[in-house]
Amino acid sequence: MKSARFGETLRVLVRHDVEFIVVGMAAGILQGVPLTTLDVDVVHRRTTENVARLLNALDELEAIYRGDPRNLSPSASHLMGPRHQLLSTTLGDLDCLGTVDDQKTYEDLLPSTREMHISESARVKVLELSVLLEVKRRAGRPKDLAVLPFLEATLDEIRKQG
Amino acid sequence: MPQADPSEAAAETHDANGVDRAQIRDMLRLTPEQRLLRVQEFVESVLEIRELNEKRPVR
Repeated sequence: MKSARFGETLRVLVRHDVEFIVVGMAAGILQGVPLTTLDVDVVHRRTTENVARLLNALDELEAIYRGDPRNLSPSASHLMGPRHQLLSTTLGDLDCLGTVDDQKTYEDLLPSTREMHISESARVKVLELSVLLEVKRRAGRPKDLAVLPFLEATLDEIRKQG
Repeated sequence: MPQADPSEAAAETHDANGVDRAQIRDMLRLTPEQRLLRVQEFVESVLEIRELNEKRPVR
Protein backbone atom coordinates (compact mmCIF):
# COMPACT_ATOMS: atom_id res chain seq x y z
CA MET A 1 0.00 0.00 0.00
CA LYS A 2 1.52 3.29 -1.09
CA SER A 3 -1.46 5.54 -0.53
CA ALA A 4 -4.32 6.14 1.89
CA ARG A 5 -6.49 8.80 0.29
CA PHE A 6 -9.68 8.00 2.17
CA GLY A 7 -11.70 11.00 1.02
CA GLU A 8 -10.94 10.41 -2.64
CA THR A 9 -11.82 6.72 -2.35
CA LEU A 10 -15.24 7.61 -0.95
CA ARG A 11 -15.78 10.29 -3.58
CA VAL A 12 -15.16 7.75 -6.37
CA LEU A 13 -17.88 5.52 -4.88
CA VAL A 14 -20.25 8.51 -4.63
CA ARG A 15 -19.51 9.54 -8.22
CA HIS A 16 -20.53 6.06 -9.38
CA ASP A 17 -23.79 6.29 -7.35
CA VAL A 18 -22.82 3.30 -5.22
CA GLU A 19 -25.12 2.74 -2.23
CA PHE A 20 -22.88 2.07 0.77
CA ILE A 21 -22.41 2.77 4.46
CA VAL A 22 -19.05 3.75 5.94
CA VAL A 23 -18.34 1.51 8.95
CA GLY A 24 -15.20 0.68 10.95
CA MET A 25 -12.70 3.27 12.14
CA ALA A 26 -13.24 5.54 9.13
CA ALA A 27 -16.81 6.00 10.45
CA GLY A 28 -15.36 6.83 13.85
CA ILE A 29 -12.85 9.30 12.42
CA LEU A 30 -15.56 11.07 10.39
CA GLN A 31 -17.43 11.59 13.67
CA GLY A 32 -14.40 12.90 15.56
CA VAL A 33 -12.59 9.89 17.05
CA PRO A 34 -8.88 10.83 17.27
CA LEU A 35 -7.44 7.59 15.89
CA THR A 36 -6.02 6.49 12.56
CA THR A 37 -6.67 3.61 10.24
CA LEU A 38 -5.03 2.21 7.13
CA ASP A 39 -8.21 1.26 5.28
CA VAL A 40 -11.79 2.24 4.58
CA ASP A 41 -14.53 -0.28 5.41
CA VAL A 42 -17.89 -0.01 3.65
CA VAL A 43 -21.00 -2.18 3.67
CA HIS A 44 -22.52 -2.07 0.21
CA ARG A 45 -26.10 -2.76 -0.84
CA ARG A 46 -26.15 -6.20 -2.43
CA THR A 47 -28.51 -5.69 -5.34
CA THR A 48 -27.56 -6.52 -8.92
CA GLU A 49 -27.75 -2.85 -9.95
CA ASN A 50 -25.68 -1.56 -7.04
CA VAL A 51 -23.05 -4.25 -7.37
CA ALA A 52 -22.70 -3.31 -11.07
CA ARG A 53 -22.12 0.34 -10.04
CA LEU A 54 -19.65 -0.77 -7.36
CA LEU A 55 -17.75 -2.85 -9.93
CA ASN A 56 -17.44 0.23 -12.17
CA ALA A 57 -16.04 2.22 -9.24
CA LEU A 58 -13.65 -0.60 -8.33
CA ASP A 59 -12.54 -0.78 -11.95
CA GLU A 60 -11.67 2.94 -11.84
CA LEU A 61 -9.79 2.33 -8.57
CA GLU A 62 -7.99 -0.68 -10.14
CA ALA A 63 -9.03 -2.77 -7.15
CA ILE A 64 -7.43 -6.17 -6.65
CA TYR A 65 -7.50 -8.60 -3.74
CA ARG A 66 -5.04 -7.59 -1.05
CA GLY A 67 -2.21 -10.01 -0.47
CA ASP A 68 -3.15 -12.29 -3.34
CA PRO A 69 -0.19 -12.78 -5.71
CA ARG A 70 -2.56 -13.49 -8.63
CA ASN A 71 -3.76 -9.83 -8.67
CA LEU A 72 -7.37 -10.96 -8.97
CA SER A 73 -10.16 -8.39 -9.28
CA PRO A 74 -13.45 -8.87 -7.42
CA SER A 75 -16.39 -10.18 -9.44
CA ALA A 76 -20.12 -9.51 -9.17
CA SER A 77 -20.65 -12.92 -7.53
CA HIS A 78 -18.07 -12.10 -4.85
CA LEU A 79 -19.71 -8.75 -4.12
CA MET A 80 -23.21 -10.25 -4.04
CA GLY A 81 -22.13 -12.54 -1.21
CA PRO A 82 -22.09 -11.83 2.54
CA ARG A 83 -18.32 -12.11 2.98
CA HIS A 84 -15.61 -9.46 3.26
CA GLN A 85 -13.73 -8.49 0.10
CA LEU A 86 -10.40 -7.02 1.22
CA LEU A 87 -9.07 -4.95 -1.64
CA SER A 88 -6.06 -2.87 -2.54
CA THR A 89 -6.68 0.13 -4.82
CA THR A 90 -4.68 2.96 -6.38
CA LEU A 91 -5.96 5.23 -3.57
CA GLY A 92 -5.40 2.82 -0.68
CA ASP A 93 -7.00 -0.20 0.93
CA LEU A 94 -10.76 -0.60 0.67
CA ASP A 95 -12.77 -3.35 2.33
CA CYS A 96 -16.17 -4.06 0.76
CA LEU A 97 -18.17 -5.94 3.37
CA GLY A 98 -21.29 -7.89 2.42
CA THR A 99 -22.37 -8.00 6.07
CA VAL A 100 -21.02 -7.01 9.48
CA ASP A 101 -21.92 -7.67 13.10
CA ASP A 102 -23.50 -11.12 12.83
CA GLN A 103 -24.74 -10.91 9.25
CA LYS A 104 -26.25 -7.41 9.31
CA THR A 105 -26.81 -6.13 5.80
CA TYR A 106 -26.88 -2.64 4.28
CA GLU A 107 -30.63 -2.57 4.77
CA ASP A 108 -30.32 -3.66 8.44
CA LEU A 109 -27.80 -0.90 9.18
CA LEU A 110 -29.49 1.88 7.22
CA PRO A 111 -31.71 3.14 10.11
CA SER A 112 -28.55 3.52 12.24
CA THR A 113 -26.71 5.84 9.85
CA ARG A 114 -26.26 9.57 9.47
CA GLU A 115 -25.37 11.50 6.33
CA MET A 116 -22.14 13.46 6.38
CA HIS A 117 -20.52 15.78 3.84
CA ILE A 118 -17.08 14.67 2.68
CA SER A 119 -16.85 17.56 0.19
CA GLU A 120 -19.10 20.41 -0.99
CA SER A 121 -20.99 18.06 -3.28
CA ALA A 122 -20.48 14.57 -1.87
CA ARG A 123 -22.35 13.08 1.08
CA VAL A 124 -21.96 9.59 2.50
CA LYS A 125 -23.92 7.47 4.94
CA VAL A 126 -21.93 6.75 8.08
CA LEU A 127 -22.72 4.25 10.83
CA GLU A 128 -23.68 6.21 13.96
CA LEU A 129 -20.96 6.33 16.58
CA SER A 130 -23.13 4.78 19.32
CA VAL A 131 -23.89 1.82 17.01
CA LEU A 132 -20.24 1.50 15.95
CA LEU A 133 -19.38 1.31 19.65
CA GLU A 134 -21.82 -1.56 20.19
CA VAL A 135 -20.61 -3.38 17.06
CA LYS A 136 -17.02 -3.15 18.31
CA ARG A 137 -18.07 -4.26 21.79
CA ARG A 138 -19.88 -7.32 20.40
CA ALA A 139 -16.97 -8.18 18.10
CA GLY A 140 -14.90 -8.43 21.26
CA ARG A 141 -11.55 -9.01 19.58
CA PRO A 142 -8.55 -7.34 21.22
CA LYS A 143 -8.28 -4.84 18.34
CA ASP A 144 -11.94 -3.87 18.78
CA LEU A 145 -11.78 -3.65 22.57
CA ALA A 146 -8.67 -1.46 22.32
CA VAL A 147 -10.60 1.38 20.67
CA LEU A 148 -13.64 1.32 22.99
CA PRO A 149 -12.29 3.99 25.40
CA PHE A 150 -11.77 6.36 22.44
CA LEU A 151 -15.26 5.76 21.05
CA GLU A 152 -16.85 6.15 24.50
CA ALA A 153 -14.93 9.35 25.24
CA THR A 154 -15.83 10.87 21.85
CA LEU A 155 -19.52 10.07 22.38
CA ASP A 156 -19.30 11.64 25.83
CA GLU A 157 -17.72 14.84 24.43
CA ILE A 158 -20.38 15.04 21.68
CA ARG A 159 -23.15 14.71 24.29
CA LYS A 160 -21.53 17.38 26.47
CA GLN A 161 -21.47 19.75 23.50
CA GLY A 162 -25.17 19.03 22.97
CA MET B 1 6.04 33.01 41.88
CA PRO B 2 6.54 29.34 40.91
CA GLN B 3 5.78 28.42 37.34
CA ALA B 4 2.97 25.86 36.85
CA ASP B 5 4.29 22.53 35.61
CA PRO B 6 2.97 22.23 32.03
CA SER B 7 3.03 18.43 32.27
CA GLU B 8 0.43 18.60 35.06
CA ALA B 9 -1.90 20.62 32.86
CA ALA B 10 -1.41 18.09 30.05
CA ALA B 11 -2.26 15.22 32.39
CA GLU B 12 -5.58 16.88 33.22
CA THR B 13 -6.72 16.53 29.61
CA HIS B 14 -6.60 12.72 29.93
CA ASP B 15 -9.54 10.77 31.35
CA ALA B 16 -9.38 7.70 33.58
CA ASN B 17 -8.78 5.45 30.55
CA GLY B 18 -5.88 7.59 29.40
CA VAL B 19 -7.83 9.06 26.47
CA ASP B 20 -6.80 12.61 25.59
CA ARG B 21 -10.07 14.57 25.66
CA ALA B 22 -8.38 17.67 24.22
CA GLN B 23 -7.60 15.73 21.04
CA ILE B 24 -11.25 14.72 20.79
CA ARG B 25 -12.41 18.32 21.25
CA ASP B 26 -9.95 19.39 18.53
CA MET B 27 -11.39 16.77 16.17
CA LEU B 28 -14.96 17.82 16.96
CA ARG B 29 -14.13 21.41 15.94
CA LEU B 30 -13.29 20.18 12.40
CA THR B 31 -15.69 19.26 9.59
CA PRO B 32 -15.86 15.56 8.63
CA GLU B 33 -13.82 16.33 5.50
CA GLN B 34 -11.13 18.07 7.57
CA ARG B 35 -11.05 15.10 9.97
CA LEU B 36 -10.42 12.70 7.10
CA LEU B 37 -7.70 14.96 5.71
CA ARG B 38 -5.96 15.20 9.08
CA VAL B 39 -5.80 11.40 9.40
CA GLN B 40 -4.92 11.00 5.73
CA GLU B 41 -1.98 13.39 6.01
CA PHE B 42 -0.69 11.50 9.02
CA VAL B 43 -1.06 8.07 7.41
CA GLU B 44 0.45 9.23 4.11
CA SER B 45 3.46 10.56 6.02
CA VAL B 46 3.86 7.21 7.77
CA LEU B 47 3.61 5.38 4.44
CA GLU B 48 6.24 7.67 2.91
CA ILE B 49 8.59 6.95 5.80
CA ARG B 50 7.90 3.21 5.50
CA GLU B 51 8.67 3.30 1.80
CA LEU B 52 11.87 5.27 2.42
CA ASN B 53 13.00 2.69 4.97
CA GLU B 54 12.16 -0.22 2.70
CA LYS B 55 14.80 1.22 0.36
CA ARG B 56 17.23 1.73 3.24
CA PRO B 57 17.02 -1.30 5.53
CA VAL B 58 17.74 -0.64 9.21
CA ARG B 59 20.94 -2.38 10.27
